[in-house]
Amino acid sequence: MEAIRPPSFPAANRDIIRVLFKPSALYLASLGLSISLVGVLGMALLIQTWWGMGMAGQNNASFWGTYIVTFVFWVGIGHAGTLISAILFLVRSKWRTGVYRASEAMTVFAVMTAGLFPVLHLGRLWQVYWFFPYPNQRYLWVNFKSPLMWDVFAISTYLTVSTVFFFIGLIPDFAIVRDHNKGLIAKIYNLAAFGWRGTNRQWHHYMAAYGFFAAFAAPLVLSVHSVVSWDFAMAVTAGWHSTIFPPYFVAGAIFSGCAMVITLLLPMSYLFGWKDYVNEWHYDALAKMCLLTSAILTYAYAMEYFIGWYSQNPHEWEIFRWRAVGEYAWAFWLMVFCNCVAPLPWYIPKLRTNPWVLWTIAGLINVGMWMERFNIVVSSTAHSFDPAMWRMYAPTLLEVCILLGSAGWFFMWFLLFAKTMPAVAITEIKEQIEPPLKGSLEAK
Amino acid sequence: MARLNRRDFLKALGIAGAASAAACGWDDNWYRTPVEELLPYVVKPEQVTPGTPTFFATTVTTGPAAWPVTGRHRDGRVINVGANTQAPGFGGGVPKAALLELQRHYSPDRLRAPLAGGAESSWDAAAEKLAEAVGKARAAGKKVVWFGPHQSGALAQLLADYTQGNNLHWEPLGRSDEADAAETVFGERRLPRYELGRAHFVLSFGAPFLGSWGGLNLERGFADAKNPNKGNFIARHALIAPHVDQTGANADDWYACGVGAEASAAFAVAKLIASKKGYAGGASQILSGVDVAKAASASGVSQEQLQEVADRFAQAEAAVALPGATPDADLAIACFLINIVSGNLNRTFFADGYAGPIHGLRHVKALVEELNAGKVGVLLVGDTNPVYSLPPSLGFAEAAKKADLMACLSDQPTETTALASLILPVANTLEDWGDEDLDATTRLLRQPTMTPLWSSRSLGEVLLKTARAAGLKPLPVEQPPSLSQPEDGSSEGDSEDVDPSAPQEQQGAAPLAFEPSTWRDYLVARWQRQVYPRAQNPGSFQEFWLKSLRQGVAKVRSDATPPTVRLGAYSPPERNAASGIGLQLFAHPHRYDGRYANAAWAQEVADPMTGQVWDSWVELSPELAAELGVKDRDEVELTTAAGSFRVGVEVYPGLKGKTAAFAFGQGHRQGRYADKRGQNAFALAAAEATDSVGNPLLGGLSVQIKKTGARSDIWSTFGGDSDGGRYWGVAVNAPALAKVGDKPSDHPGELTGIHHLGRDPRLEEKSRKNFYDPPDHPTYRFAMTVDTNACDGCGVCVIACYAENNLPIVGKGLIKRGREMNWLRINRFWEENPDGSHDIRFIPVMCQHCALAPCESVCPVLATYHNLDGLNAMVYNRCVGTRYCANNCPYVVRRFNFHSYAWPDPLTLQLNPDVSVRTMGVMEKCTFCVQRTRNMKDAYRDRDVHMVPDEALRQLPACAEACPTDALTFGNLKDERSAPAQTRKSARSYIILEELNTVSAVNYLAKANFHVPEAGHHGSGHGHDDDHSTDHHDAEQH
Repeated sequence: MEAIRPPSFPAANRDIIRVLFKPSALYLASLGLSISLVGVLGMALLIQTWWGMGMAGQNNASFWGTYIVTFVFWVGIGHAGTLISAILFLVRSKWRTGVYRASEAMTVFAVMTAGLFPVLHLGRLWQVYWFFPYPNQRYLWVNFKSPLMWDVFAISTYLTVSTVFFFIGLIPDFAIVRDHNKGLIAKIYNLAAFGWRGTNRQWHHYMAAYGFFAAFAAPLVLSVHSVVSWDFAMAVTAGWHSTIFPPYFVAGAIFSGCAMVITLLLPMSYLFGWKDYVNEWHYDALAKMCLLTSAILTYAYAMEYFIGWYSQNPHEWEIFRWRAVGEYAWAFWLMVFCNCVAPLPWYIPKLRTNPWVLWTIAGLINVGMWMERFNIVVSSTAHSFDPAMWRMYAPTLLEVCILLGSAGWFFMWFLLFAKTMPAVAITEIKEQIEPPLKGSLEAK
Repeated sequence: MARLNRRDFLKALGIAGAASAAACGWDDNWYRTPVEELLPYVVKPEQVTPGTPTFFATTVTTGPAAWPVTGRHRDGRVINVGANTQAPGFGGGVPKAALLELQRHYSPDRLRAPLAGGAESSWDAAAEKLAEAVGKARAAGKKVVWFGPHQSGALAQLLADYTQGNNLHWEPLGRSDEADAAETVFGERRLPRYELGRAHFVLSFGAPFLGSWGGLNLERGFADAKNPNKGNFIARHALIAPHVDQTGANADDWYACGVGAEASAAFAVAKLIASKKGYAGGASQILSGVDVAKAASASGVSQEQLQEVADRFAQAEAAVALPGATPDADLAIACFLINIVSGNLNRTFFADGYAGPIHGLRHVKALVEELNAGKVGVLLVGDTNPVYSLPPSLGFAEAAKKADLMACLSDQPTETTALASLILPVANTLEDWGDEDLDATTRLLRQPTMTPLWSSRSLGEVLLKTARAAGLKPLPVEQPPSLSQPEDGSSEGDSEDVDPSAPQEQQGAAPLAFEPSTWRDYLVARWQRQVYPRAQNPGSFQEFWLKSLRQGVAKVRSDATPPTVRLGAYSPPERNAASGIGLQLFAHPHRYDGRYANAAWAQEVADPMTGQVWDSWVELSPELAAELGVKDRDEVELTTAAGSFRVGVEVYPGLKGKTAAFAFGQGHRQGRYADKRGQNAFALAAAEATDSVGNPLLGGLSVQIKKTGARSDIWSTFGGDSDGGRYWGVAVNAPALAKVGDKPSDHPGELTGIHHLGRDPRLEEKSRKNFYDPPDHPTYRFAMTVDTNACDGCGVCVIACYAENNLPIVGKGLIKRGREMNWLRINRFWEENPDGSHDIRFIPVMCQHCALAPCESVCPVLATYHNLDGLNAMVYNRCVGTRYCANNCPYVVRRFNFHSYAWPDPLTLQLNPDVSVRTMGVMEKCTFCVQRTRNMKDAYRDRDVHMVPDEALRQLPACAEACPTDALTFGNLKDERSAPAQTRKSARSYIILEELNTVSAVNYLAKANFHVPEAGHHGSGHGHDDDHSTDHHDAEQH
């Protein structure tokens, strides 16, 4: 396998910028569908706000349901981007170059999508500003003991930092887009590029800033999903109250994030004809990453059972026993299949580069990771301490609408990104190309 | 431009805004909250202080059972019914009927004005119409008949006079069988009275004596008999019946008996006891004909089992036998004989109970015949529903049309009122005056708790108003009772010219010196004439009356004659179990015989045994269900000789072999909450029944059951049936418990055999590491004790909680989605004893008000927090609805407002003004009735007492107040004398999920069980730590 095979500096510019601004029919149709789904989300939210949370399927045992399932799912998705862009940057891993821009965009949009859910699952979402510790005449304050409060800060910090990091990376590329356009577009991109001119001095500062933000963002990759896992681990509920949750969640997040990168980049690079920039080399690396995290997850699943049995805690053991044999066993075994079994073919190197295998397994992993959160969030509460209060939860049509709507919201942003921003980091690609010698044909 | 200051600017802005709004033609108040004007009293009425409730002692009746209660009156309306703790000899508790009557009082379906031929009429016109019809009937020599529920006291007398003795008092689940039995055994139609508190052994043949069958005195008595602290014994309770209902769930031994064959088993037991006791009295002749072996094979209860029961009964210091689930005179006779031959007459069994008129089905049949023969001119139907509860084959509905006038004097729309040409919605029990003769020595007084909600008139008033037409001769009274001046009180002792037992016989002789003008005067006259002379140390009549009114009860000298057993030609019948599949019909614990079906609480609050809500279900034994190939919620078709319908299945381990059970109470065609819900059990009742000897109406039915293949819509709120070794319900060896009782023990909780983490020396208070400091409780740490041995699962606490705390009714649709709003629930766990018998444990669960509450630490906005009184407080206004608290509550007691729920008018009038009505999106839960504790604290603080004494707290929350068995006791842990502080030291005390270190404020007392070994270890693999060096419940001493 080869690394990046871009022909030359000008070709790199051309290939990446070529795809911007000119929407195809397929693109417009996809965007239209995404925006329609956002409309569905809005309607569903309106209905739920007007008639109450009861329009969704939660009950007196399972109070969170698919909303928090999907929240954790999207937050998890939002991890691979920063991992690839920041951590792999810091360890100077070269394969990140081709995929990191799209992954970063994915991160920002996934966190934006995730952020919808804590708000829309509120009983009184119009009071959402009460989450913030702002000074007020009533001396109301927030509870810093609550993991939800930690969530508020963790997620907003992560969104801010990853967004800033994302835009910093885009500065030189925005300048290239500017240079290839005229008129209003050039002016807008000039603004976005902060008037980037590519001087030595600018590069010097730029690289320092980039390195700083990479270092700043790297621990967030670990912290954010750890904090999200504390929503569960800090609770007493059996099946939640577990010290392995932070590493288990982080591994799961990277697992699902890498799978989502494959899911998004495969068709994108195919449609945009970017075989030279995003190719088997990247997929191979991503698949290996998935294999590693899948092994961690499998270990974590096994460990949950071991501890449940070893502790002789009737609540703990019953919840794990029931997950495997109870009414939600289908969700459990779907999770086990998708997360532990489905990635196994990737141990065969050839299957790590076959696009169809890649895409299918990555898709299964996405399903499996949603199911994992379903198993955690729903089954623990549906079958908790009081057997008399065991009751089943099933999502309603409204929740399905909100779920699909959130996907629409995510894809809407991603599609807009694909047509307005260079989805492959042109300047970093160029770092991996032999610089054109003065007077060579390519330099012209 | 002139300087425009800020105020002028705002004024201008306001005017401009208002003008533009007005110009648009909108209602310019559309955006504002409607203004409600509060007008202060110009002259404050006596007794009314805004914001302060007034309590009226009154009486609520179901069948022959009546109980004194208090109506909590606030700002012109009665908002709740509570315990009457001042009634001598009663001791608190609220009957379910009282709360359901309260809801029926505000029922949106309640009839508000008289209806004559379907058209609204004035009371004057309606009364005139009635008087006219009665006059006509009298003139034509036709009968005027009253057909109503059991009724004693002044109203029964007035009705008897009004109808010239044609007053028929029948209820489908009334105790006419015992009246018949008493007539046979004692020669008098007077119900027996049972004192369960003294019984060491209770034998029941299925009577729901912990439910609707008797008064709360039976429930209280049974709890006393089971209370190890009273008399140092724990009564053993044996059940010989086909079906384990809520009462039967409290039995220690269940002997499954064939449906309808209880009487055979009962006579066999009687015979065995008689021979064991060497009884040679009058009944021995009757019993000599009983063949025990035959009875055993007929009933399915083996001879050894019958012998075992008889031995235990005979050996017990005192014992009592109670009859069956549905009226059956032979069974009642057998039970009487058991009590008599075992020497328990006048020990636990007394022949001086309710003496009001009780009629049986044969009287109803006679009425139908008379109606068909055209002998009845006016048929007056009281608050009873014969069209619903009589078998259609009897033809009551058709016969009733043959009366010249059928008038219903009832305020609730029923299947019967739908047929009536004249409906007079008379005042209900909370609006009316009245009295009841509960037994030979007890007179209960009923007074209005508010002015009638609608234009109702009292039934007595209607009768008096039309009395002249009826040719009524009112009760003679020598002088009008004057309550404004005290009387001389000379009537101490016997009144010379009154024989209260036979007032009617007096009427011919005594001239009518006074004709009472109002129903209340009539009542007072009766009390002056008949009750007062028999009262003990009454003082003047005025004093006596006011005291009785305040207490709701007057004790009088017994009017019963000493019982003599005069069994004549009676011979015990041979009863066999129903052929094929036996069907046991039983009273629903909440809806009773169907009269409360239209009270939403009776539908919404889960059935104690099955968790079923808002519907009917048929219970099938596990074997029968397997044979039919059906599982829970499958639909089957039930067919008896009388009728057939389809209904959902609940597979029920409280049945054995080929038996099924079905509850009364549903299948109405009237009322918004009852209409078209479930099926009417009376439609299955025997078509040909005489209710007397040999062929009861409701018992011994055989039924055909066919699987339809469809799924039904029934719904149960219950999750798992067993607590799976989690120590939600704990049983301890009964004799061991009887020995030690609840005296403070050196090893609290020892008997439960729970390996408490809290008792682990490593986790002692000193070394126990809490991440956050435990909260401080300077004066109060409110706490509760739940005695699961006393709890019989009746569920009145749950209904009381609904009434007190404005809990919304969400309906079946939302309950199916798991969203009932009960702050208090009763978990029913069906556990197996080591010897294979079952143990049904009722565990009331409410918010445990943990000191280290898992819900509090996770709320991001501090909407729930721990207050200084030890309450886990909930600030509704601050709640944003993340529901994290509820997910993190291990007791699963938090309830979320998934919607804003509405109360149809006038149910809104019942809302407790001290408790806010919650809206959509906020969490709520049990508050330990914080509105009551606050008021109580304030009341004492006004007297400069800064710690409310224990006595004022014990029954303060609504659930504890309502509980007839004192299973729930409230108190302050900071007060060493309080019940919770004391019971925490009991050897049977345990705390649910103590291992989570929630430091809960609710401790539970384990249930006594005769089937678990003494050590208290029951089958779990938990080790036992012998080092009980510390009091594990002392985590509270901060």
